[in-house]
Amino acid sequence: MLKRSTQPKRLWRSAPLKPAYDAVVIGGGLHGLAAAYFLASRHGMQDVAVIEKRYIGYGGAGRNTAIVRANQRTSENVPLYKEALDMWPRLTRELDFNLMFYNCGNLNLAHSEAALKAMRLQTATAQFHGVDSRLLTPAECKALIPALDITDRPKYPIFGGMFHPPGGIVRHDAVVWGLAKGASARGVHIHQDTAVTGIEVQRGKVAAVQTSRGRIATPRVLNAAGAYAAALADHLLDIRLPISVLTIQAMVTQPLKPLLDHVISSGGYHIYANQTLKGEIATGAHMDRWPNYTTGTSAYYIKHQAEALTDLLPCLQGVKFMRTWAGLADMTPDMAPIMSGNDPVQGYYQDCGWGYFGFKSCAAAGKYMAQYMTTGTCPEILAPFDPGRFAAHRLMGETAALVNYSADN
Amino acid sequence: MALNLNCPICGPRSGYEFRFGGEDKGPRPAEEGATTALWLAYAHLNRNVAGVQREWWCHKDGCGTWFRVCRDTVTNCEVPTVDTL
Repeated sequence: MLKRSTQPKRLWRSAPLKPAYDAVVIGGGLHGLAAAYFLASRHGMQDVAVIEKRYIGYGGAGRNTAIVRANQRTSENVPLYKEALDMWPRLTRELDFNLMFYNCGNLNLAHSEAALKAMRLQTATAQFHGVDSRLLTPAECKALIPALDITDRPKYPIFGGMFHPPGGIVRHDAVVWGLAKGASARGVHIHQDTAVTGIEVQRGKVAAVQTSRGRIATPRVLNAAGAYAAALADHLLDIRLPISVLTIQAMVTQPLKPLLDHVISSGGYHIYANQTLKGEIATGAHMDRWPNYTTGTSAYYIKHQAEALTDLLPCLQGVKFMRTWAGLADMTPDMAPIMSGNDPVQGYYQDCGWGYFGFKSCAAAGKYMAQYMTTGTCPEILAPFDPGRFAAHRLMGETAALVNYSADN
Repeated sequence: MALNLNCPICGPRSGYEFRFGGEDKGPRPAEEGATTALWLAYAHLNRNVAGVQREWWCHKDGCGTWFRVCRDTVTNCEVPTVDTL
């Protein structure tokens, strides 16, 4: 029998909770870890703590379907997502950790003339910003994915597709581990099992963060608590945000031989799917129709996914789902995120409202939030994401059609 | 996750028959003298309580009635009305 002679090598060190830090990041998810990593690596901040109520990667970081892409809809959003997408290979080298970025390309299907028209605008926006995105005919879609049914048989026949070659898949757990490793190596303290219980404000400035393990004096704090960020902001600072939190479900099939070489998605069917390196078809669904924090899965969506997947890819009939899970999406009315700082409390920063786009954006958001927290000045690329846009009623239009999750629309 | 709601007209029905109508934020602000901040709060801002909250629902695929219930957002279960919320 093999005997392990030494303890397994940890990727990051555990550290004692100090009574003071230069910056405290609430949330050991990808946005929090990325911000901490960039604070330490780019801005030389020596004393940074990440406090995480459960364990790093517990939330959206480990529950998303690992899809990355940069073909968002609006000119404010595309550059941020493009930078995030371009960062994967560089981060892989920089962190010396294989993030398993696989740029297999994303094919988004249109099932109506109206959807094609929206895609025409979306590809034009992408191309204007130097993002490779193009329209395909149904025959070209089938050339990419031969298993696709492009006949008139499906409930929603395929009218065309939008192909985005530089997008693809990144192993989400590897990003958690890689960022934690990189941050820890640069002196960041990662405190798991540590819940924030209060933010002390003195004369309009952040003075300390209270946690389940004691008080931490700090001049700046980042709320990167993902789907819990909005409730925390309300609970701790009485800051209400235009966010609704909804459970979003995903599942994987049994492993199959290679048949899906690209990420495929369809707004009409409300599905997105890719084949993992293990051969499983990993697929995600639409959000629950009402806000909740359950992260529960339901027969309703398992049935829906099975019907939608087999309608588009009939060869999947009879294939079994092996596993199902859910995460939380914090949706804003315009499906664009909220990033802001020093308003109304000096030293309080927030990075939330990412909905189901938090994974693909984490590297760029972390980089620029770190810059924001160091300089105190909002980087130009983040300026459009100030929540002031909602008071001015200048919503961004990342959503093509009205969604059904709140009374707002 | 499964949700059943008690429609005041139709009784207990599957949650999928209903449309969520937002957190209960009290009456619509009077247009006279209403500020941007007031409208913003009414139209967009949410408390996002992880726990019991009072909220609006419409029996969309049934009788069409709008009504308020208290629901625990962590368990997705309707709970008896709490007056203090």
